[in-house]
Amino acid sequence: MTIQGALTILMYALAPFLWLIVGAVGVLVVVQLLARLRGYRTFHYRCLGANLAALAVGLSGLWWIPAFTNSRLGYVTTLFDWVAMIGAVVGLAIAAWLVLHPLSYLVRAPRYVRVKETP
Amino acid sequence: MTYPLEPLRLDRRQLLKFGLGVGAAGLLPLGSLKASTLSTNARIVILGGGAAGMAMANRLSRRLEGASISLVEPREIHHYQPGWTLVASGVWNPDKTVRPNANFVPPGVRWVRQPALGIDAEQRRVSLTDASVLEYDYLVVATGLQLNYHLIDGMTPDLVGTHGIGSVYASLEGATRTRDAINAWIAKGSGKGLFTAAPTPVKCAGAPLKMTFTTLSRLEETGHRDDFSVEFLAPGAALFSQPWVNDFVKQRFDDQGVTRRHHYRLSAIDPGARQAEFTFVGPDSEFTSHHELREAEYSRDGLRTVIADYDFIHVVPPMSAPDFVKESDLIAREGPFRGEWLDVDIHTMQHNRYPEVFGIGDVIGAPINKTAASVKAQAPVVEANLLAQMQDQPLPARHNGYTSCPMITGIGKAMLVEFGYDNNLDFLPSFPFIDPRDESWAAWVMKDRMLQPAYYAVLEGQA
Repeated sequence: MTIQGALTILMYALAPFLWLIVGAVGVLVVVQLLARLRGYRTFHYRCLGANLAALAVGLSGLWWIPAFTNSRLGYVTTLFDWVAMIGAVVGLAIAAWLVLHPLSYLVRAPRYVRVKETP
Repeated sequence: MTYPLEPLRLDRRQLLKFGLGVGAAGLLPLGSLKASTLSTNARIVILGGGAAGMAMANRLSRRLEGASISLVEPREIHHYQPGWTLVASGVWNPDKTVRPNANFVPPGVRWVRQPALGIDAEQRRVSLTDASVLEYDYLVVATGLQLNYHLIDGMTPDLVGTHGIGSVYASLEGATRTRDAINAWIAKGSGKGLFTAAPTPVKCAGAPLKMTFTTLSRLEETGHRDDFSVEFLAPGAALFSQPWVNDFVKQRFDDQGVTRRHHYRLSAIDPGARQAEFTFVGPDSEFTSHHELREAEYSRDGLRTVIADYDFIHVVPPMSAPDFVKESDLIAREGPFRGEWLDVDIHTMQHNRYPEVFGIGDVIGAPINKTAASVKAQAPVVEANLLAQMQDQPLPARHNGYTSCPMITGIGKAMLVEFGYDNNLDFLPSFPFIDPRDESWAAWVMKDRMLQPAYYAVLEGQA
């Protein structure tokens, strides 16, 4: 298959979800930008709640990803099934963390900055 | 009047493709940007604008400069027929399977919105229903096939959805009404369901099995599966052409409480009484040879019949090439496909008697291959061999019989069955990490999410 062929398939596959993908990327970019403008640095800020929430979002994929594909977790059986499913869950958790982590900073920023500035 | 600086207007689809194309441009070696083209003033007629015809229109329009290409297709709507089993199973919305044909007809191809009426292979002419004639130098026959419901006494496509009758093949509306008929049967809470197979080659030979499996899923979901009885009646000893899958399906039917009855074909139906008549066609009939059972034999007297009551019946009609193809010189004259299917070399796709004619898709006489996946494999072969024929060169490409059936074994799981002609229809897996013998979620996701995009790429000649 040519690259153009692969792109055509990708285009048709993503087209129904384009609004969702654009919306999700938009939220991610806006939250990251706003947080960084207010001093957020990815690995300098710690928030256990955001980490756990991102993990929960990722794990929730075990339920809704099969449902989204008109299937169920019980039918995830082969090695490749699990590699694909775990990949999707990890990807989902990372995407959620990239939003929730800076978001928590924005919510907590005034207090966090005050604490950091206290001698 | 034209305005050189008029702003370029792209619709959403073009814009998306443009964006993706620009993104990928850096990855493409220059030589792959454009395949070599052939300058010609040949007149090419493509009969049929289904998966095969549309793929050929796109491929040939890219490869030929100066050719006159006509696509004969009366329908404005393109149906994604592989999705109809999912519609009939209640998984997909019917709207998901339709697109305008205009989305796929390439620029430069003359779209003739007329049904074809006849083919004069000697004079190289195709007649249309408005009495006009298309003359050709090269012909691509991609008409698809014909559903012969009339060979089942008492049966018409209009009955689908009424009196407990379903038939996923009938049409999109038929698939939708089949869903409704299954829903009504399940809502009844008990009863007998009959699932049938046809005594001829059929398109998507897995569909009758898939309909049985998805209905079993739904019956099991009710929590009182034992209140329903399910029978599968097949005209041959086999249920599927690929030997391993055939054994698997038989075993799975046995495990799921499906009563199998072999060597019976559906010969008549009495919708009012909800009764079906089956004719015993003999133990010699086999799935791979039951094209021997020809139309004339349908009316043979003296064969043993049985009458079965049903609450739901899934009807699979006998199929053949369309009548106007059967009445032409292009139909097979001997061999297992005589009188019923297009006479082509199953490897080169070239007609066995008319070298300027090629066949592709459901219409050809081939032991397997009536699937969209087969079209994906056949289209580049027809393209390469037709161009070679136009240049009086030896035909360079051969079709290995590749076909694929995402065998749905329940709603939510499937097996990605791919096989070809060689080694007794041995598996030809596309992905080394997906075993065709495994039921898997990934294979289901491919059926549910990925094959339709791949299908549209085939239509555009991109895959």
